Amino acid sequence: MRNFALATDRTSVREGEPFHLTISAHVDEEVLELDNVTLPDLTGFESLGDERRCSASARGTDCVEILTLDGTQAGTHTLGPVTLDAVDARSGRASRFATNAVTVTVEGASGLSGIARSLIVGVLVGIAAAALWWGFVRRRRPPAPPKVPPVAVAPPPAAAAPDPASRYRDLVAALEREPSRARALDVRAELRLMAGAGAEETLGDLEARGALRGRPEELAALRAIERAAFCEDSNVERAVREALPYLIS
Amino acid sequence: MKPGALLEALSETVVGQHAVLESLLHATIAGGHVVLEGPPGLAKTLACRALAGAVGGSFKRVQFTPDLLPSDIVGTRVFDQRSGEFTTVLGPIFANVLLADEINRAPAKVQSALLEGMQERQVTIGPQSFPLPDPFLVTATMNPLDSDGTYALPLAQMDRFLVKLVVGYPSAEEEVTILERFGGAPPPMPTGIASMDDLLRWRDEARAVYLESRLQRYAVDLVRATRAAHPYLDRGASPRATLALAALSRARALCDGRSFVVPDDVRGVAPAVLRHRLAFNYRTLTEHVDPEAVVAELVASVSVP
Repeated sequence: MRNFALATDRTSVREGEPFHLTISAHVDEEVLELDNVTLPDLTGFESLGDERRCSASARGTDCVEILTLDGTQAGTHTLGPVTLDAVDARSGRASRFATNAVTVTVEGASGLSGIARSLIVGVLVGIAAAALWWGFVRRRRPPAPPKVPPVAVAPPPAAAAPDPASRYRDLVAALEREPSRARALDVRAELRLMAGAGAEETLGDLEARGALRGRPEELAALRAIERAAFCEDSNVERAVREALPYLIS
Repeated sequence: MKPGALLEALSETVVGQHAVLESLLHATIAGGHVVLEGPPGLAKTLACRALAGAVGGSFKRVQFTPDLLPSDIVGTRVFDQRSGEFTTVLGPIFANVLLADEINRAPAKVQSALLEGMQERQVTIGPQSFPLPDPFLVTATMNPLDSDGTYALPLAQMDRFLVKLVVGYPSAEEEVTILERFGGAPPPMPTGIASMDDLLRWRDEARAVYLESRLQRYAVDLVRATRAAHPYLDRGASPRATLALAALSRARALCDGRSFVVPDDVRGVAPAVLRHRLAFNYRTLTEHVDPEAVVAELVASVSVP
């Protein structure tokens, strides 16, 4: 085992908003899949998908597992570490390998803080009480109990669940509006995720293990956005402009 | 004149070993010294000789032996009977490219004399100090097989070398080409492909290559990863390794025609910068662990920005 890491593409999401958790591993042996991987406790999250793939590299096998999750409980959650029980090729002994942990903050669906939510609920309850009292004063002896209009509590808006492609398009659009290094880094991170890059993999590593074989557009886009992300400050804007045609295509 | 032309010229003389030639060029542009390790007969000397010829600089070679003296390297003072005065005879260290062949065969005193020159870029003979030529590049070779009668260089001295390059055996196809190229008359060495001025200009251009702050941090993280507790390491690399990583990444970017460094530059040069700066413990010997695998594992464990 040379590399075993856990990464997330988002450190802050809203309730219902999907994000990716990537487990990447490199082993010296040729394997078809990694057995005995123990996923972390995912309480507070719902699993929307799980994609696994292993590919042969120059010195063994690269395995990537991408979990698509959405947060169901607001708060700050620590995910990980992921553990793997395997026999260490060097020592021949059974070993337990563990990744790093990642922290993800899930905000409430409305995007409001707990205090703000409490205030709104309080106001709504107050309105309902006032309506009740008004109805009581106006009709002292009503033939029938007054009908209290139901307090309409708006259901949380349907969680926008952008797929990777639409999220990528949004990020490219944001980059187009604001051609900055920070935006370029966002687009690069999304592209890397889409290409299945592990946290410790460079663009050269991806090419070396053939992850971009037959995907010349993605390779060109990654090269172009890497230039924009790391070139001199004075050239960032121009590099972004030159990268955009590759990103949009 | 671009650095790529120099690399092409070197590739026309040395068969294969492209990564070694590339790293040799990067180190030359970064202004650092190189130690090449590999079994005999793998074109280590040829590569150094070809480099010196290609840049049109002066080239000297010293075969390190157990009876070598410091004065055999730096020079000495001799008494001139005609003038009745001492005159200074400069040693082979006064060259643009010095090949220190089998550096670990000479005792520590001689190694120190050379390493002092490498660090200070000047040597003192008697009462007088003499600056070394600029550029000044030491390429040292070490043979890992015959360790009897050798004097291993201490870690502090190895740290003076910008990179350590491991020269491996050629492929079967490359070996056939070696037969064709070197079977008859020796092939011509490249001469005057670039000039000393070109080399100095590339050095200035490499210093101006942009290294973004996230990549600076990446270089620091790579070096710091070697200092964390590790089952096979006693000690990690020093901040000199971080400086070396930055300098060599810039040179690599320049050779690739870029004015800025990308993560692949830092990652690409890291093994050559780190491998000779780590103190491996006894477990690497007893458990037959390949130090190269440890270096590769450390480098691969650090997140890319």
